[in-house]
Amino acid sequence: MIISEVGNVLLSFATAFSAVTTLSFFFKNYYSHSYIFGLSRFFTLTSFFIILFSFILLSYAFLTDNFSILYVANNSNITLPDIYKFSATWGAHEGSMLLWVLILSFWTLLVAFFSDSLPKVISINMLSIMNFIILAFLTFIIFTSNPFDTIFPAPENGNDLNPLLQDPGLIIHPPLLYFGYVGTSIPFAFAVAILFNEEVKPKWISWLRKWVTLTWFFLTAGISLGSWWAYHELGWGGWWFWDPVENASFMPWLILTALIHSLIISEKRNIFLSWSIFLSILAFSLSLLGTFLVRSGILVSVHAFANDPERGIYILTFLSVIIGFSLILYMIKSNRLTDTNDFTFNSKEFVLLINNILLTIITFAILLGTLYPLIASTLDLGKISVGPPYFNYISTFLFLPMILLMSPAVFMAWKKNNLKKIIKPLTSMFILSLILAFIVTWLFYEIRYLIVLISLAFAIFAILSSIFKIYENIKIHSKIKSLYKRLININFSIVSNSFAHIGIGVLVIGITISNYFSLEKEILMKPGDSTMISNVEIIFNGIKKEKEQNYSSKVGVFYSYKNDVYQLTYLPEKRIYNVQKNVMTEAAISSSLARDIYIALGEEVSSEQWSVRIYYKPLIQFIWLGVLFMLFSTFFVFFDKRKTLKK
Amino acid sequence: MKYKLAIIPVIIFPLILIFLLIGLGKDPTIVPSPLIGKNIPTFSSKDLISNEPITNNDLLGQYSLLNVWASWCPACYDEHDHLMNLSEKLSIPIYGLNYKDNFKDATTWLSLYGNPYEKIIFDFDGMIGIEFGVYGAPETFILDHKGTILYKHIGAINQEFINNKLLPIINNEFE
Repeated sequence: MIISEVGNVLLSFATAFSAVTTLSFFFKNYYSHSYIFGLSRFFTLTSFFIILFSFILLSYAFLTDNFSILYVANNSNITLPDIYKFSATWGAHEGSMLLWVLILSFWTLLVAFFSDSLPKVISINMLSIMNFIILAFLTFIIFTSNPFDTIFPAPENGNDLNPLLQDPGLIIHPPLLYFGYVGTSIPFAFAVAILFNEEVKPKWISWLRKWVTLTWFFLTAGISLGSWWAYHELGWGGWWFWDPVENASFMPWLILTALIHSLIISEKRNIFLSWSIFLSILAFSLSLLGTFLVRSGILVSVHAFANDPERGIYILTFLSVIIGFSLILYMIKSNRLTDTNDFTFNSKEFVLLINNILLTIITFAILLGTLYPLIASTLDLGKISVGPPYFNYISTFLFLPMILLMSPAVFMAWKKNNLKKIIKPLTSMFILSLILAFIVTWLFYEIRYLIVLISLAFAIFAILSSIFKIYENIKIHSKIKSLYKRLININFSIVSNSFAHIGIGVLVIGITISNYFSLEKEILMKPGDSTMISNVEIIFNGIKKEKEQNYSSKVGVFYSYKNDVYQLTYLPEKRIYNVQKNVMTEAAISSSLARDIYIALGEEVSSEQWSVRIYYKPLIQFIWLGVLFMLFSTFFVFFDKRKTLKK
Repeated sequence: MKYKLAIIPVIIFPLILIFLLIGLGKDPTIVPSPLIGKNIPTFSSKDLISNEPITNNDLLGQYSLLNVWASWCPACYDEHDHLMNLSEKLSIPIYGLNYKDNFKDATTWLSLYGNPYEKIIFDFDGMIGIEFGVYGAPETFILDHKGTILYKHIGAINQEFINNKLLPIINNEFE
């Protein structure tokens, strides 16, 4: 009981501190700005530690099996292993909202302490806006989803954590994703602060770009970990499903990617400022919309935890206030930003602009597809789900031109480009890519689909041009003797975008090949049966039964042979969790760079005869390899020093 | 010029809001079934328990409930108490459609939690389920004596469904 009361008091105090900090926006001109800023900073720090403490308190309630707390009783159980008791803290709606606010509060804290390059008045406004968002979500938690609500009498034992979430992936996937999601509040707060200020300096843009990159890093890591988890652990047989919740995280990612590129232009050329500001607002709006879609249960999704209209109404109200306000502010004030937009068609900024437009169009196409079931049911078009074919179609035809544009974009110059200088290396690399794509497909796969050749060629083109760009960058400095000086002189922004583009290329290769050349078998097997998939023979040896602390399982034993030589043992499982009697499938996967073999147990159709799913997925690991390159690329952004060009 | 462009999001956003707001009032699990008001499809299978043949004709003659379930479906476990209760209290029979399940799991499940069903159609490959337009277990159909589908409930049975749909339909019939 005491935990519940302390928890409620903590949440109320945090709410009060955020409210006071929000007010600094209105009072900043009555006192000196550095005084108000110091105060805001102190309150932000205090409120962060209070929220952190309430989060720790909730984890403590989980670890000590305190079932008098309703949320703990609903999502934990005495037999649950300790690590999952801890991760259950954010395993369901209430706790995950608390984590959301904790992370938002952490980002706010970072802004409070690392914004020295911004004028005080901008920092104060940013802290005020971010604290307003914290305030809104804290009241949301307290009134509609309080994790400290009690239950009386306390049950003997809890209802257990959803078995789907009893997985190491859950421990890290939501926090990473939330770091990315919530991080978009920084560009948002910046955008609103700038709109009030009506002036922006390249130095501030440079500051923002680093935070946006960091946010992008977390969002990329969160999304890809989610897909890795679905593929490797959940046994869903794929890595991306165009589920509403996946789309909800993908849309802010696309806009953040566009924002990174547009900020580069804004910083370098002092143009497209109002476009960058708009993307900043959009990224956060889409994050909020995503939170709403997930939390209201408005769309049917594999991730849906809660279906509670009251919660939906609250988030929707908040969402319409904050997005509506910022869009109207943008409409009124954006034209006052100094924004000359002088550019020629033959320049880097123009190609980047095209990329921005494409990314925005893709985002809206995905938004339309995601909301389509809602629109259709509202307009009585019947309940239709648009589904993967739509998304695959639009993403293929909108992403491909973008990937093609990546290579010239890297080589083109700002302002006025010398076409003659770049046309020769680009054409030769493009022809080389076409030949390579053809040879690779012909040797290892099959020449059957034109689209495979095209996307492979574009991807290889992106990789080759990026490698060539790094090589060029190093060669310029080859005359410098000292290794240290040579390293210092490397243009890290080139290294960074080359790595990111190599990552995209590798990712596209993985998606294309695994998509078009996967083999799938769904067969019935008795012990002793064998089957061939690609050039590998799979033998079913039998089933063994195992018991763990919180579940019992049937484990299929499969051996793989290649040219009659034993290679591996696969142990796919079917688990039955003790408390909720849920059945979970654990696939067995052997991964290598060239291919994955994936075995999942189906049902026992008759005695000893099992339905078995066997997949052969070539190059699927390239997907996550590509993501690693992209994540790695962000590291260099923190070292690059871009110089703003003179008009 | 720029002022005009910035109006576009201000116009689009309320439109999206309206759809969200209307969508919020609707339950995403309600899927209209084109089969409502039509007769149940013809099928022939075996009874899970007795192993005797069972066809669509066996469901005719009186009002009944047809519940789609499987041992692998967690929500079926949630609604099971309601079904056990109904089988005692209701005057009409409850039929089961054992959907994409296997004999051993299904019978073990019933012996663990009790069997509320008069008869159980064994549909191990889900083909009969497809004919019924089943989205996923559990689903429950209310049928009349001619085998017409009067109502379809998606998801676990709850008190709301029993009070607001099932009982009024049955009471209507017996008045």
